[in-house]
Parts: sequence; C-alpha cells; structure tokens
Amino acid sequence: MSLSTPLRRACLPSSSIPQTQCRHATLIRRPKRPYTFTQLVTLSDGSTYTHRTTSPAPVYVSTKDTRNTLLWNPSSQKMLNIEADEAGKLRAFREKFGRGWDAARMEEKDEEDGMEGGAEGGREPEEKEDNLMDLISGYGLEAEAKGEAKGVRQEKEKSGKRKGGQR
Amino acid sequence: MLRPSTPICRTCLHQIRTASSAAASVETAPIEPSPTNRAPPPLTASQSHSITYKLKAAVLLSRPPLLTRDLTPFEKSYFLYQRRLNERLALPFTRYFYYQRGTPGDIDWKRKIKERKTPARDIGVYNAYGVEGWNDELLVGDSVSEPEEQVERLLIDAEVEVKERDVPGEGKVVKKEEVERPLPRVTEADQAGDTKSLNRALQKTLYLIVNRGKGRWGFPSAELARQESLHTSAERTIVQTGGVNMNTWVVGNIPIGHQVCNYSQGIVNEEKGTVLRGEKIFFMKARILAGQANLKDNQFGLEDFQWLTKEEIQKAFDPRNWNAVKNILPER
Repeated sequence: MSLSTPLRRACLPSSSIPQTQCRHATLIRRPKRPYTFTQLVTLSDGSTYTHRTTSPAPVYVSTKDTRNTLLWNPSSQKMLNIEADEAGKLRAFREKFGRGWDAARMEEKDEEDGMEGGAEGGREPEEKEDNLMDLISGYGLEAEAKGEAKGVRQEKEKSGKRKGGQR
Repeated sequence: MLRPSTPICRTCLHQIRTASSAAASVETAPIEPSPTNRAPPPLTASQSHSITYKLKAAVLLSRPPLLTRDLTPFEKSYFLYQRRLNERLALPFTRYFYYQRGTPGDIDWKRKIKERKTPARDIGVYNAYGVEGWNDELLVGDSVSEPEEQVERLLIDAEVEVKERDVPGEGKVVKKEEVERPLPRVTEADQAGDTKSLNRALQKTLYLIVNRGKGRWGFPSAELARQESLHTSAERTIVQTGGVNMNTWVVGNIPIGHQVCNYSQGIVNEEKGTVLRGEKIFFMKARILAGQANLKDNQFGLEDFQWLTKEEIQKAFDPRNWNAVKNILPER
C-alpha cells in the first residue's frame, strides 16, 4: 500500500474516479473451428453414411473395414476362402516358385499319399522318413562334393604359390 | 436381512417385510408348483388339489433395424439451417492447404465453386458472406434439405471429368466417370410385399412369427422340458422351429415378459392331486445374425412363418396375445 499510493496520486485526477466497484467483461476469443464438409462414406459392402469432416473429398470409398473382415463376419461363407494379397507378395512368390506350394495342392498331395499308404498298408510314416533321410543325405553328399572340389582348387592354388616360391 | 440396529420406523418395516415375502413367493411360485404350495384353491376341483401351470418358453427372434429412420420434415429443415449457420460461423475453407495452385484439382475446384458459391455441396447455392447471407432458411417446395438430394449432390461432385483432346474433327470430348450410387432404402422385397424375406423393412425390427394352423399366429414356443432352463429351452425352440440354417443368439437368461393363459376349465390330475389351471409363457429375447428360417422339419406342426414389424404383428395377432406382448416390442 505504501508503494501504490504515491503512484496513483501522480497519475489520476482523484475527482473523476467512480467509487463503486466495477468489473468489465473479459474478451473471450471466438474458438477457431475449421471448415467442415459433409462426406459420403461407402463401406466395402455398399452401405453408406454421411459425416462431417475437414477433408474436401466428397466421397470416400473404403476397401477394408468391419464389413469384409473375417473376424467381424464369422458366419459369412464368402470370406472363408478369401486370400488377402494386397501387397502382391503371394503373386510375386508364385511367379518365382510356381504354384506347387499352394495350400489346396498340398492337401491334394496329402490325400494322394494317404491313398497310397492305404493300398500298401501301415508302412507310410517309415517311407516318409526314408524319403526325408534320402533328401538330407543327398544334400549332404552334394555339399561334400562341392567342398571337395573347393579343397582341390585351394590345394592347386597353394601348390602353384609354392611353385612360385620355389622359383 | 434387517439388522436390529438400523433405525426404521414401524410402518416402513412392515412394508419392507411384506414386499420381501411377496418377492420370494413370486420367485418360487412359477418354477415348480409343488403339492405343498399354498395357492388359492381351484374353482373346479376339491380343496385338496393344488394348482399347476404348464410352463412354456416363447422366443422373440428379431432382426435389428439395418438403417437409420427417415428424418421428419422439421428435422431436415433444422439440419439445413444449422449447416448454413455453420457456414457463417466457421473459419473459411483453406483452399491452398488442400489444392496446390495450378493443379487440375485446383482448376476443378474453381469451376465448381463458381457454380455453387460455397465450398459445401449439400446446402444448395448459398453465399454465407454475401448480401443474401441472412436468407438461410428452407423455402417451401425446396428439395435442398432432403438427404437423398444431398447425397446426389455429393456423388455428382465426385464425378471426375476426363478430357480427351486428340479427337479429329470434334476437338475436346468430355467424358464423365460415373460414381457408384448407393443402394435404395426400399428393397425389392418391400415393393413385392414378401413378408418371408429378411431383407425388408430395413428401418424397423422384424420378428419371427409362426402359424399354428387356422390362422393362429404367435411367437415360436415350446414347453419346458424337465430340468431345463429358459435359455436352453429358447435355443432348442429356435432349432426345432426354424432349422439349423440360422445363426442366432439368445440374449439373456431372464425373460423380457410373460403371459398367463387360463384354460376355461382346469384339468384335474387325481393321481398327483393337482389341477392344471393354464399356461404361463415366458418370452425370451433372441437375435438372428444370419440365415433364414425353414419350417420343413419343425416339430410343432407349424404351417407358415413370417418376418413382421410391430405394426404388422398387431394386425396378425389375437388381441389378447397382442396385449401381452405390445409393451415388450420396441417402437422401431
């Protein structure tokens, strides 16, 4: 109080100050609301609705939503055999390695194997194991052959160096 | 139940006791009317006979509405007014944030906004910043407020013009790519009046009702088997009525309503010392998610079925049955 009193005396003429308390309205800024459009959203099954959005696109067509996801449509027969290949990875794999690895073909092969096993008796698992062992052993033989070849080359090179050293 | 230390006045205590005893009797009475049950004596039989009721579980198998309801004219004009008001109050559209200068999108935008004077497509030709900005209410006979009209405006705006320049003799040929239109809100089954289809009355709930012969329509129901709950009984009733080609879901264990049908004369069973007064039917709520009913192998001798809305059920039902179920069924 001791500080403020001399200031007030210096600035204001004392006679014109209203004695009653006064509270002016505070200026509240208008909230900034962005411009919104009405947009028509089309879901993947064809159902539509409109909503308000800042995007200026008049129509939005959805490709993947709850209407074509298997998790949301457990009773739909259409989606049981659907193959999601949006990135084209499966297509690229088939171009490179053919369709021999497809799930349907694998099932057919299994059935054929089962038929053979039924005709021959209960020897099927052993045969499978034999085939696998053949594969593994064959691969090992090939690897050995390659390794031998490499070893031979190295020896030859070494021998050549030695020869050079001898010279 | 009540601790002696709780301060309750005598009248309140009396009321609570009577209410609790009444609730207990309600709980126990309909489940198993035993010979020891102290029911009022039957009118037709001697004093020693106790009253029993046949217990039945009926299924309100319903398909929920698939569409929102149509708006009233007042709602339509109100929403249009709000959108035009919002046009004046919101910040103006920042065009260069979305469309770069000189791009085809920008040129297209300029051409379209010259026609409709506003960035919004669904409020008609209306300039919020012009002299006529105050004139924002719906005029009589104007179709701007119709939702179908607004959707149509959006779809027209979404059409992309493809210009083919190199056509000899004709100059520029403008070709428009059509956007796929949404399906109508009224289906073919609605127009044909096919009440067996589930693809009808998309704005309302549909209920399965069956014909028990001689035009007696009702909800599918079955008598409770021994040691069977209402829930399992409802599931069994659905399968035995409409076959297995329905993906259904019985919502709860508690019935949403009940109906007591008294026979004109009680059936006296002398061996057990009971008299069968009538039927008590408990309505279980169920939803159909997929599939369709098929009465070929039904075990209740049913002749026909229909999927009806509430208003249509009122016409098909007997007035007494309608009074029992009218407050269970929601308005839409």
